[in-house]
Amino acid sequence: MQHIFNILGWFLSNIVLIITIMIFSAYVLLAIFSAITLRIYLRKNSYVDYNSLILAPLTPSISVVAPAYNESKTIVENIRALLSLYYNNFEVIVINDGSTDDSLEKVIKAYDLEKVNYFFDYRIPCKRIRGVYKSKNRSFHNLTFIDKLNGGKADALNAGINVSGKELICSIDVDSIMEPDALLKMVKPFLEETDSKVIGTGGVLRIANSCDIQGGRIKRIHLPKRFLARVQVLEYTRAFLMGRMAWSRLDGLLLISGALGMFDRETVIKCGGYSTATVGEDMELVVRMRRYMVEQGKKYKIIYIPDPLCWTEVPSTHRVLGRQRNRWTRGTVETLFKHKKIFLNPRYKKFGMLGYPYWFFFEWLAPIIEFFALVFFIFLIIFGSPNWPFAILLFAFVYTFAVSLSVWAILFEEMTYHKYEKKRDVLKLIGTAFLEPFLFHPLTVVWAIKGNWDYLRGKRGWGKMDREGFSDSSSPPGK
Amino acid sequence: MNSRLIFVLILLVVQNSYVFSAKHNSVELNPTSKAVRILDEIRVKTGNGIFIDVFDFENFSIFMKVLIIVIVYSLISMILLLGFILFHRNQRETEAKVWQILKEKYQLLLMDYLFNEEGLNHVPEKINKVAANTYKRRILVEEMKDLIINLSGNYADNLRDLFYKLDLDKDSMQKALSKKWHIKIKGFRELAFMNLKSANDEIIRCLDSNNSILRMEAQLALVRLNDTDRFAFLDHLQRPFTKWEQMNVHEMIVSHNLEVPEFQKWLNSGNNTVVIFSLNMIKVFRQVQAADHVIALLENNDPEIRKTAISVLGDLEIKKAVFYLKHHYKYEIYENQLAILVSLNKISDESALKFLIMVIDKEDDVQLQIEAAKAIRDLGDAGQKALEKLMHSNYKNYLIIIKHVLDKRI
Repeated sequence: MQHIFNILGWFLSNIVLIITIMIFSAYVLLAIFSAITLRIYLRKNSYVDYNSLILAPLTPSISVVAPAYNESKTIVENIRALLSLYYNNFEVIVINDGSTDDSLEKVIKAYDLEKVNYFFDYRIPCKRIRGVYKSKNRSFHNLTFIDKLNGGKADALNAGINVSGKELICSIDVDSIMEPDALLKMVKPFLEETDSKVIGTGGVLRIANSCDIQGGRIKRIHLPKRFLARVQVLEYTRAFLMGRMAWSRLDGLLLISGALGMFDRETVIKCGGYSTATVGEDMELVVRMRRYMVEQGKKYKIIYIPDPLCWTEVPSTHRVLGRQRNRWTRGTVETLFKHKKIFLNPRYKKFGMLGYPYWFFFEWLAPIIEFFALVFFIFLIIFGSPNWPFAILLFAFVYTFAVSLSVWAILFEEMTYHKYEKKRDVLKLIGTAFLEPFLFHPLTVVWAIKGNWDYLRGKRGWGKMDREGFSDSSSPPGK
Repeated sequence: MNSRLIFVLILLVVQNSYVFSAKHNSVELNPTSKAVRILDEIRVKTGNGIFIDVFDFENFSIFMKVLIIVIVYSLISMILLLGFILFHRNQRETEAKVWQILKEKYQLLLMDYLFNEEGLNHVPEKINKVAANTYKRRILVEEMKDLIINLSGNYADNLRDLFYKLDLDKDSMQKALSKKWHIKIKGFRELAFMNLKSANDEIIRCLDSNNSILRMEAQLALVRLNDTDRFAFLDHLQRPFTKWEQMNVHEMIVSHNLEVPEFQKWLNSGNNTVVIFSLNMIKVFRQVQAADHVIALLENNDPEIRKTAISVLGDLEIKKAVFYLKHHYKYEIYENQLAILVSLNKISDESALKFLIMVIDKEDDVQLQIEAAKAIRDLGDAGQKALEKLMHSNYKNYLIIIKHVLDKRI
């Protein structure tokens, strides 16, 4: 027993240290890459006049595809916000995915909809369409409302893509709030393509909890009042401004968030649309599209835009957040296992040699190792005698490094888009960064372990996602 | 990302606690045991444990030092960053206010100068003082750029004259010759706004730059500054002319009311993107006289050019193109077949009726059938009759498709 214990300990010493060095190096490198990418982007963007795009005749057409399930509280306002996006050639397709509330009735009434004789071409398989609705009011001519049997988010998106007749599709959550110029900014990389086809663009998500919202638009930005939502502001800032920007530059991006992504429609259709067999359909689609392009021998690009383009409500209770993280974990595992062929496969270049291994080791495997390491540490406390002074020093080391990384992320935000205007908000964020490792991180590990466990048990569902809904003082649109 | 760092913490604590607890607390290893032999073998195979050596007791202090250095670095960086963030925020707010105040002030100064004809020969001391200060000069130039957009005739000439008198052209020239691309662009823009051609050679050199934004700014500057042949750059463009660049050039033509050239002269360009741009401009500026050249492009090897040519023929409603579109249909790729049907719909010529009915009959693809049916629908009475006949056809069940295309709400 003692010998096994010794071997295990020695093994941990080496492997763990390698992973430690890799993680530390990866974070520092990603932060540096992000900083460079952000600087170049902001400088180039300072010469761009997006207004010239609004009426330009050469812009590609876009279908904004928004699935909705029991969004009765906010759906009317959110559709209105989508219809008023700044772009000259777009349609809005909202898919009622078998809602059990009164979403359908509310939308029909608010937008004067009626059923049309739509011939539905199931180019991508999806659940049966009960009806396609258009407005009698010409002001809403670019709105299409689909009522279908419940099949989940991916299935609803596929239905929307089938109806879409435009060159690009922009998939969003109907309860997200898009910046008015989001389409203009997301379409630009498609216009800049040269020999490599741009197949997707993603934008930065921001957190709308506690913000003032009117008419489906953000009127005033506030830092979330609740700690659990506020800590996610930090998470999102780090993930988007320090992580994805760098991965975009390194051509290793595996994920465009389901809350906001723009894709080349034909490529999506050729890839078979969103997968209904996974709860991580957003990541799975990106990975499948990338695989498709490589296997077809086509040059391609996926671009991330650092501009805050979309505001979303994040879970602010442990129960709902736990479900979300559980689902994210299962989605990651499902995608990684489904596309294991890519792992360290030179054919897929940086995508296979960098992006996929990063997700494999640091996004999926890390919490599992961490969990077992923690168990082992507890075991040591009970049966051995850890060197406490050294352990405390190590703790201080990682803790201060982690917090300083968060403060760097806050600086990135400050130097780029500085959306939080009050000084108090910055101080609160920094305070949150100090508390995060104690109050939030352990929970993320538990949720990740539970996600893995549920995956092994074959759980595939989304779980109930309660939303508080944005408070909105404006009136609903008239007929 | 941060969460992963905490993971590192625990792992480090585990591994080192283990290593040191083993050393300090005499977790004795039996040198003869099988486990130790395995351990030693592994150590040998892995280069005697390159990492484990770092943690040998002898090196303990080095590792401790590294940890302490990182901790101190992290703490200091946190404090400094916090200070910097707060300072930066104050500074930014103040700068924005000052900038706005000065801009408004300089606008009044410039207006006074421009609308006071007697004073035009003499530059007021106030403006001279502003131009002498680097920071204030930047604001002054910005204001002049904003102002000249809304000026024409003598006023615009006088403003340009003032630009010269203040030696701001030299400043812009210096910027245009800078090695830094973002400063170069500022220079190009200033020169273009003030219609100063002194840096044209440098701008031409940048047409082939690797930097896409610099390349585009050079194109835009030339379109404004090259009076004799604004679009000459299209003759020599080697790199792909991106849609973004195309749109900006189009925007420049429209917003500055520039003379539109005959774009057909670039339809034979060796650069496919230039051909596509020219086709689009032929469509936008409705240069129907280029129809024959556009029809000729239906034979082009590049499917994207053919697709654009097909769309242009439809948008320009070129009747004689119907014959060619019908002829090319069967040789085309799927996307272009769809484009042909859309164009036939736009041209709306009865001579296409039989062909369109044949498409509905022969094709299995629903999208092609729908587009053909739409084209028939828009052919007027003949089309309506044809659709009615198709609705009662025993050959295939077209009812659902025809109902779809007849529903005007879709």
